[in-house]
Amino acid sequence: MNEQAALFKDKQLGFLIYLFVESVMFATLFATYIIFTPAPSSPRPIDVFEAKSVILSSVFLLSSSGTLIFAEKGLNVRESKQNLTGLGITLLLGLIFLGLEIHEFYKYVQEGNGLTVNVFMSAFYVLVGLHAAHVTFGSGWMILLLIQYKTMKQSYQLYTEKQRIFQYYWHFVDVIWVFIIILVYLPYLL
Amino acid sequence: MTIPFFGKSIFVPSDIIAAWILSIVLGAILFIYVMNKRKWPLIWEYMRTTNHRKIGTMYILFGVIFFLRAGTDALLIRLQLAQPHAAFWVFQQEKYNELFTTHGTMMIFFVAMPLLIGLMNVAVPLQIGARDLAFPFLNAVSFWLFLAGAILFNMSFFFNSAPNAGWTGYAPLSTDTFTPSVGNDYFVFSLQVSGLGTIFTAINMIVTIVRHRAPGMRLTRMPLFSWATLITSFLILIAFSVLSMGLYLLMFDRMFGTGFFSGDTGNPVYWQHLFWIFGHPEVYILALPAFGIFSDIISTFSKKRIFGYPAMVLSIILIGFLGFMVWAHHMFTVGLGPMANTFFAITTMLIAVPTGIKVFNWLFTMRGGVVKITTPMLFALGFIPTFVMGGVTGVMLSVAAANFQYHDTHFVVAHFHYTIIGSTILGIFAGIYFWYPKVTGKVLDEKLGKWHFWLFIIGFHLTFLPMHVTGLQGMPRRVYTYQWGDDLFALNLTSTIGAFLMGSSMLFVGWNLYKTHKHGKKVGNDPWDGRTLEWTVQSPSQENTFEPMPIVKEMDPFWYAKVSGEKLRTTNNTRPAPISVNTILPFCIAFSLSIMSLGMIYTWYLLAVLGGASAFLLFIVRSLTDERKAYDLKEGHSNE
Amino acid sequence: MKNILIRIRLLVFACLLTGCDISVLDPQSKTADNQAFLISFSFALMMIVLIIVFLLMTRFVWKYRETEHNKNTIPKDIKGNKKLELTWTILPILLLTVLAVPTIAVTYNQSATTPKATTQDDAIHIDVTAQQFFWTFTYGNGKESTNELVIPENKSIVFHLKSTDVIHSFWIPSLGGKTDVLPEKELVYKIDNPKKGTYDGKCAEFCGVNHTKMRFTARVVSEETYQKWLTK
Repeated sequence: MNEQAALFKDKQLGFLIYLFVESVMFATLFATYIIFTPAPSSPRPIDVFEAKSVILSSVFLLSSSGTLIFAEKGLNVRESKQNLTGLGITLLLGLIFLGLEIHEFYKYVQEGNGLTVNVFMSAFYVLVGLHAAHVTFGSGWMILLLIQYKTMKQSYQLYTEKQRIFQYYWHFVDVIWVFIIILVYLPYLL
Repeated sequence: MTIPFFGKSIFVPSDIIAAWILSIVLGAILFIYVMNKRKWPLIWEYMRTTNHRKIGTMYILFGVIFFLRAGTDALLIRLQLAQPHAAFWVFQQEKYNELFTTHGTMMIFFVAMPLLIGLMNVAVPLQIGARDLAFPFLNAVSFWLFLAGAILFNMSFFFNSAPNAGWTGYAPLSTDTFTPSVGNDYFVFSLQVSGLGTIFTAINMIVTIVRHRAPGMRLTRMPLFSWATLITSFLILIAFSVLSMGLYLLMFDRMFGTGFFSGDTGNPVYWQHLFWIFGHPEVYILALPAFGIFSDIISTFSKKRIFGYPAMVLSIILIGFLGFMVWAHHMFTVGLGPMANTFFAITTMLIAVPTGIKVFNWLFTMRGGVVKITTPMLFALGFIPTFVMGGVTGVMLSVAAANFQYHDTHFVVAHFHYTIIGSTILGIFAGIYFWYPKVTGKVLDEKLGKWHFWLFIIGFHLTFLPMHVTGLQGMPRRVYTYQWGDDLFALNLTSTIGAFLMGSSMLFVGWNLYKTHKHGKKVGNDPWDGRTLEWTVQSPSQENTFEPMPIVKEMDPFWYAKVSGEKLRTTNNTRPAPISVNTILPFCIAFSLSIMSLGMIYTWYLLAVLGGASAFLLFIVRSLTDERKAYDLKEGHSNE
Repeated sequence: MKNILIRIRLLVFACLLTGCDISVLDPQSKTADNQAFLISFSFALMMIVLIIVFLLMTRFVWKYRETEHNKNTIPKDIKGNKKLELTWTILPILLLTVLAVPTIAVTYNQSATTPKATTQDDAIHIDVTAQQFFWTFTYGNGKESTNELVIPENKSIVFHLKSTDVIHSFWIPSLGGKTDVLPEKELVYKIDNPKKGTYDGKCAEFCGVNHTKMRFTARVVSEETYQKWLTK
């Protein structure tokens, strides 16, 4: 039996269960958002949300899942260049998404729609903010992976496992974003 | 008492001064003991360990310490309630509110949970033939997170700001408008930190049970304690995630001015929903492992396999599943309307069915057996009637319209102490007596154990049986006194006497531990004539267990091997064991997170950022020093 | 049937304490009476279960205890017994069904609701305002009283419950079960046909420092006295 593979399968299962935990957490926050939106006092979601910024940030984040798959293909066939490019672009897209997200929040606050304006805005910030925190964490993780790839002080297989686990995380964060589009933005932009 | 502090004078209640003095004295004694006996290397070893038995031992050790602390709270509560219009020491009004809040919170999160998780750590890997938990490093992280949360929670009391909104933390009372002191911030952050640890443990247990069983140990042959652990872990995954998000929202309400649970547009009842979606499964998280422990003990000491094994497994699953559909029976009086009340009344009643199946199966396991009444078995026998009494009052409580009368009275207090002490605490005692040889290599003294049992169980019924009546007599929960005219004196005094009997039984535990340590003889692998794999390994269990690995062909494999006079077949061809390491990182991670929590609690954000950053830094260190790297290179999968 | 139940509950609780009445089990209104019936009924049903378990356990532990004779015997293995196991699955279900019927009936009648659902003309409506740590009662003609509730006997009384701060709970054990008093939502709870007398009322949801002291007196008086009191 390949010993490393067995240990990796443990890790894989453990991490997928962890993602299940995260999805329960996000589900709770989605429920919170749905319960409190729209709030009885202004602003209403319609006054706040802007289709343009949502579409723009979605494009960047969702395409990053694609570039990550591209990187994975390189990883599998040990195409160092393809993997590095893929990871690099994914990181870049993630950072751009973060920038857009910060800009969006900043704009809302400038318009007077901060965290405490009403319960709808609160529910929005705690949910989307937590997602943004996940993207931030993921970006840091990617940088760490890039460093480990460059120095490669471990076997290639062990590194591969690390990147695999990261991929589950990143795709998961993307799926959460899809839910955010569907449940948070879309009902009030259509 | 007023104490000068940097030119200001600060009022400090005398109980806190007493606690400081006591802690300093005890701490000094402990320090001198450690110095004299040269125990530093041992402590250092345990701080860096990732071995399941050692971590389990630490869970149990600290669980017991917090049990004494929360038990003291209970005795203080009972002293204040001993007679009408009592004014015992300082425990009225705010002080009393803090008292029952810390009692409840600590008993649930820092006593019952760690003690059960400790037993799981000790027993589950040995029962299923795993060489350790799947993720030894994560297991250490879980433990230190629990301890960090617990210490954080205890600190609040020493700084005269214990939480005071009840262990349920009902909003809006728990929001900053009505309880502005930092007490409930401590509540939020300590539960958040320790809850994270609990979630990690659940993940660890599931992966261990799913992937690390001995060859031939099918799920249908697995001991019931391991089954209960598996189902409990699934409950934890959902329940604690919801709690975590509830606390997250409460934190925003308390610290950043949002209004989810209070104010004009907030919804206090939503907190109750979130809390009980966690809180009710939590009850089963506490009860199911105890059921598992009793199943194994009753079967062992009846010398018979468990009666109706498939039904026992199914009922665990069913209880776990139904446990998520009953949360609103804690909320019959909040006006959810007749439909919801009826629905939750019915689902609650349904839980009685699988629970009843379990009770009768336990009884029929004894039928036709040879029942040997050892201390663990005695606790199991005490459990059955006690828990059934809690169960029937549970059914009575599920009758929604009658619940309008019971709700939030001492009847409810009696009910949940009957169920939680009846199952969880008795189960923990039974489990500790049962598996003590696997931890220390010695069996606890039977005679003192029986003294412990009888004092505890008599004291228990004396304490809580009268509460059914005081509740119906009109005594609400969480009141610090009552009047002569309420006709409650005799019953409350009885409760107080009972509580002190329970407390005194713990002296026998202390004596027993001491006596066994001094005079107890080492026992072999199998002191109880056990049935399952944990009794095939050395007592105490070593770091390299199951070498060679037994092959399992039926349930209770060890027992049947003994009966047929054959040895268990073994193999050397096994899956790789989890890699154990010695590392101080888990301790540091938990320490960083408590620094971060303290920073948040006192809004010293710089400290919070420092703590958080150090935690992230430790993650990076962890990733770069992965223990599998060394193993990996040793295996020869070098980098091509 | 009902007499038997009353006798059962008297019997059982008489052993526990002699001399004092248990307020919840000595109902002084129709509402509380229904609840007391449910309590006794469920208690009686559950006693059956409890007694069976106690008897079986005592018998099994005694009969099969370890003795010098059987010390070294290995008992026969029994995996289970389908018939027996079905019995203790189905019987409890039946028992619970019996319990569920009155539960549903009374719960449907008595659950607190939101205001619009209840409009009963001959009922007496009283606004109850809970505040840390006292009760204010406002009557139809605008009269207010603090910590003292006065209601006429043998009427339907509808309480409109509202809190100005945290959650409280309105409870008069002798007259009926409790209803939470919420800050954000008005709840309506009805008590039918109270009997004359003076009863204790209290806050039953932990509400802060002086939760213990948040008590009130409920006086049920004759119709005339009530009218007189209203205009006083």
